[in-house]
Amino acid sequence: MGMFSESVDVVCSAAGQPEAVTWAGRSFTVCAEPVRWYERRQWWAEDSRAPLGSGPGVVDHEIWRVQVLAAGVGRPGGSGEPAGAEPLTLDLTRHIRSGRWRLLRIHDALRPKSA
Amino acid sequence: MSFTHLHVSTAFSAHYGVSWPEELAMAAAADGATALACTDRDGLYGTIKHLKACMAAGIDPIVGVDLAVFDDDGDHRTQVAGRVVVLARGHNNGAGYRALCRLVSDAHARTSGKAGGAVPAAVTRAELASRTLDPQTLKPVLTVLLGPDSDVGRAMGGRRYLRPRTLFKQWLDAMPAGTVVAEIVSQLSAPGTPFSTAHAVRLLRLAEEHHVPAILTNAVRYCAADGAPTADVLDSARTLKSLPELAGEPLLQPTGQGWLKTPEQMLGLGREIISAAGYGAADLKQLMAQTEALADLCRIDPTTDMGWKQPVVPEASVIGISQDPHAELIQRCHAGIGRRFPGISGKAGQEMLARLEHELGIIQNLGFSSYFLTVAEVSRMIQDMGVRAAARGSGASSLVNYLIDVSHVNPLQHDLIFERFLSNDRATLPDIDIDVESAERHNVYRRIFERFGSERVTLMSMQNGYRARGAVRDAGLALGMDDGEVGEIAKQLWRFSARKFREALQEKPELREFAGRVEQRDADGNQQLDLLVDLTERLDRLPRHISMHPCGVILGDASLLDRTPVQPSGLGLPMSQFDKHDMDPMGMLKLDVLGVRMQSAMAFAVREIIRIHPTKKDVVAAGKHPPGPDGTGPDYIAGDGRIDLNAVPLDDEATYELIRSTHTLGCFQIESPGQRELIGKMAPREFNDLIIDISLFRPGPMKSDMVRPFLEHRHGFAPEVYPHPDLKPVLQETHGVTVFHEQILKTLDIMTGCGLAKADEFRRALSNEAGEAQVEEYFRRNAKTKGYGPEVVDKVWGTLKSFASFGFCKAHGAAFAVPTYQSAWLKTHHPEAFLAGLWEHDPGMYPKRLLVAEARRLGIPILPLDINRSKAEYQVERIGSGNDAGRLGIRLSLNGIYGLSAAELKRIVAGQPYDSLADLRTRSRLSKPSIRRLAQLGAFDSLHREAGGPANRADLVHHLQQLQTANGARKGVEVLEGQLSLPLGDIELRNIKPGLPAPTLVENVRAELDLMAVDVSTHLMESHRPLLEKLGVTTADKLLSLRNGTEVLVAGVRVATQTPPMRGGRRVVFISIDDGTGCVDSVFFHEAQESAGPLLFGTRLLLIRGTTRRTGPRGISLSASMAWDLSRAESLPFPASVQSAAEDGPHPLDGISRTLAITGFNG
Repeated sequence: MGMFSESVDVVCSAAGQPEAVTWAGRSFTVCAEPVRWYERRQWWAEDSRAPLGSGPGVVDHEIWRVQVLAAGVGRPGGSGEPAGAEPLTLDLTRHIRSGRWRLLRIHDALRPKSA
Repeated sequence: MSFTHLHVSTAFSAHYGVSWPEELAMAAAADGATALACTDRDGLYGTIKHLKACMAAGIDPIVGVDLAVFDDDGDHRTQVAGRVVVLARGHNNGAGYRALCRLVSDAHARTSGKAGGAVPAAVTRAELASRTLDPQTLKPVLTVLLGPDSDVGRAMGGRRYLRPRTLFKQWLDAMPAGTVVAEIVSQLSAPGTPFSTAHAVRLLRLAEEHHVPAILTNAVRYCAADGAPTADVLDSARTLKSLPELAGEPLLQPTGQGWLKTPEQMLGLGREIISAAGYGAADLKQLMAQTEALADLCRIDPTTDMGWKQPVVPEASVIGISQDPHAELIQRCHAGIGRRFPGISGKAGQEMLARLEHELGIIQNLGFSSYFLTVAEVSRMIQDMGVRAAARGSGASSLVNYLIDVSHVNPLQHDLIFERFLSNDRATLPDIDIDVESAERHNVYRRIFERFGSERVTLMSMQNGYRARGAVRDAGLALGMDDGEVGEIAKQLWRFSARKFREALQEKPELREFAGRVEQRDADGNQQLDLLVDLTERLDRLPRHISMHPCGVILGDASLLDRTPVQPSGLGLPMSQFDKHDMDPMGMLKLDVLGVRMQSAMAFAVREIIRIHPTKKDVVAAGKHPPGPDGTGPDYIAGDGRIDLNAVPLDDEATYELIRSTHTLGCFQIESPGQRELIGKMAPREFNDLIIDISLFRPGPMKSDMVRPFLEHRHGFAPEVYPHPDLKPVLQETHGVTVFHEQILKTLDIMTGCGLAKADEFRRALSNEAGEAQVEEYFRRNAKTKGYGPEVVDKVWGTLKSFASFGFCKAHGAAFAVPTYQSAWLKTHHPEAFLAGLWEHDPGMYPKRLLVAEARRLGIPILPLDINRSKAEYQVERIGSGNDAGRLGIRLSLNGIYGLSAAELKRIVAGQPYDSLADLRTRSRLSKPSIRRLAQLGAFDSLHREAGGPANRADLVHHLQQLQTANGARKGVEVLEGQLSLPLGDIELRNIKPGLPAPTLVENVRAELDLMAVDVSTHLMESHRPLLEKLGVTTADKLLSLRNGTEVLVAGVRVATQTPPMRGGRRVVFISIDDGTGCVDSVFFHEAQESAGPLLFGTRLLLIRGTTRRTGPRGISLSASMAWDLSRAESLPFPASVQSAAEDGPHPLDGISRTLAITGFNG
């Protein structure tokens, strides 16, 4: 698993779920129901202000775990697939206040997951 | 769509909840909710505020508690298995609420009432189970919510499936059927962690499997997401760990999702959980429906379930009456007439009876007869204990209170208005405050518990909220900042609210340095200070803990503990979880029993008078009291010499003469420099003058210049002016100036015909802007109708508007004036006993040494410490021999000697008298340093004289010092327990080797200041006298004979330092000094402050130059122009010849550091 903090562009559905990801100029589409949760931030170390009325997103940020396939590639396991067409599992984070997305983790599908 | 939140902590969950009940109720109502729960942690601290907030928001309240449950398998006393939410069911005539109260009290029954006790507030599962069913009907009245914080929820971690199931089944086995539901919560934390959807799913399946209803909550801690960082800081304050530490453990809230989510968001959460569980739409519908079904079951009717606004007083039988309470009250009032108004008849009698009729009518109409009887019973009980008690406050306005001996002020004599206290328009239980001797307050509490039974009595609590200092400390702790650094910042903060921290940084000069450091953050990347400011503001006003209210006692009937949960107070007596704001809503009768030191001092004086003068004849002679009706003395002195202070007539001329002399140090309310100046100007002649004096000496009237016109009219310097002749009767007593609330009421009544009850409502309304506009409209319209011209109306309205906010209730003033008069009366007639009482109980604003100096000024001998004559308290003593033989002096007490422990003191007194040092050592087991200190203070001088021998006090101290350093090598003669020491006199004392020069007076005084903070042998200024004479200093007793505007030098030791806030912002500093002949009160205006500089606050001995300001026939003060430090001779601006006089010897204060105790100020 690799740890990143790289800016990505994400297109969401009307319900707010990620549908497509653009990462380093390459496009991916989300191919399975994503999972969403929140994780704490070390806001006392990362932020310089936390006045009353800061709104949501000081204490936690949103994480989406998505399975994506490179755009333009067919379903996995179909005929004529290149070896690299396995879906990738990515953890994306959305900063609640700015709405900006970053890529947090890549779960390497080729290696067995440890947990 | 609507959703009911059933698990909500308010800010009254100390160090846990973030939002106020009002915010939560308003937010819930705005989201379309029809009900909202309040489930504070460990108690019902916010419950009544929640009720109020829900009623205001138009939704139904639901009440419950978030409670820890002991581990059945663990150590039963301390180990907690988890937390559950318990909700009371409603609409069952309070059965649910009753059970909830009792359950919460159960949870606290084993705690110590002290911070950091070993036993947490928690219930056993058996207690919880037994409370869930109503004892009468055996129907379920409580519902227990098992959620993520329960032992079941906490066991969900990892891949364990058996453990949560076992725990869940244990609950189902232990609890009566139908009392348990599963509380499904997801705060959307990472899959598999606590408060995650995955855990919610597992609990949901468990509930499904066991056919237990599941409901959805959000375990709310804050109204909006913005509260999440505040919750983090509160977690830090609760656990006393910094945020980085907590994050490591990890003990912080899992996410920031615990806010009062909207119905849509909650439905979304439900959907997410249901779909993650693999269930369908019908299951989602059921989860939501079950939540609302439980909410409906728990809707509380404030009136029928919780007794909202229904006053409850002790049962008639408990206060010892068998008939209708109102009939009893009427009887007692009539019985009081003969006592309070002996021989009243004719018109006065008719007026009195009419007033009584009027009051009783209102009391009956409001149904408060039992209330008055209860207060009378408590008052009687306190007096039967022999404790002085007096009603204060507006209760003194009532003739009923006067007749049943609750108050000692005759409302007819002082023209007090009952409606200021109680009226048909004001149906809340009135406040009656009872002042008792401070030293007896806790005994009075205990006695009230015994008298009424612990089921009917509990102490009231108070909420302590964050203020700036505490907030910055806890914010600093959360950020993991250095203690010392935060402490330094905290020291600078006072007199502003934490909410205004950032604003204060801009404005307050003392914060300038800190503000600079905050701005520096960009430069050095230190963002902590900026965050510190934000977090401090977040904590502002949030409740930190409850504590015993300083005076409130709640009295009820046998059902009291069904209506309020209680927990142990620091005093050991039970304390309600409700505070003063909850009393009226809950119909609770609260008595304020205040401890007043002056009452203790006066009671002490009365006891001393009897001790010294055991017959009426002696007391009359000693106090120069009038011969009375039969020539043996006045009726207020009993045969055994006991003085009934409350019966002393309020017209004693000698007492007013003392007051006019302004030598009122030690007298209640009139001893401060400002008050001495005011009474000097006013020259009170009668009791009403004292009432006016006390009412005038308040920040409002002083600041708004009401005092000057009053005095000018009083002394006839300027003609009195009345806005209209109709108002003359109302304003005459204060010469046309409106001082009292009562005058405002009468003015409104006369000019509008509104009646006094309505007038008091108007007076209250004047305190806010909206109310003021309404009153103005009413007043102008009706005064016009009654024919008052526009000019009169304008003028009177101006007065009403400006004075209503800080006018004083005359009844308050009258109640205060009674102890003022009584203390002055005692000082006039029995000064020795009175001063002994003052020294013993220290009631006033000055250092004790000034009151000792006052005895010296009055010529009362101050008798030195003596190991055989001094007791644990100050005592009046008749002097047996010497120049003062036959006179009364005051013997110093052994109490308050530096280093002498309470146990040593007790043993000394128990063993008195002693015939030798060896005897003292053996029986009192005093430590060596204590013996040496007693010797330094001369406590062995008489023993030493009796023993004979050539040595002096210095030799004795030297001898004891040697014994002390020899460290036990030469112990005194050991005497076996029970063996009588032979009366040989003191061989040790007789054989001490002489050689040292006897200590000088200065050395003795220095020892006294060092060990007792009091100069006893002589006034500490005495040794400066030669210098002062050379300088041409004027003494306090000579000032009065000088012309106004004379330039003088004065010198003395500081006794009072005040910097009252002033209109116009320029600070004025008042410094009073004592030179042994009396007090000199000086005022430093801006320029004098500039020239005196740091000496203003940093000096104990002051030389002041200034000009005299005559303030009245007997009053004079000083307008200072310059000050010097008398102890630094080289700084004095005088010729060298004078300076050499200054260096002529040691002075008592040299090397003594007890500045606060000696000067009353620590600048």
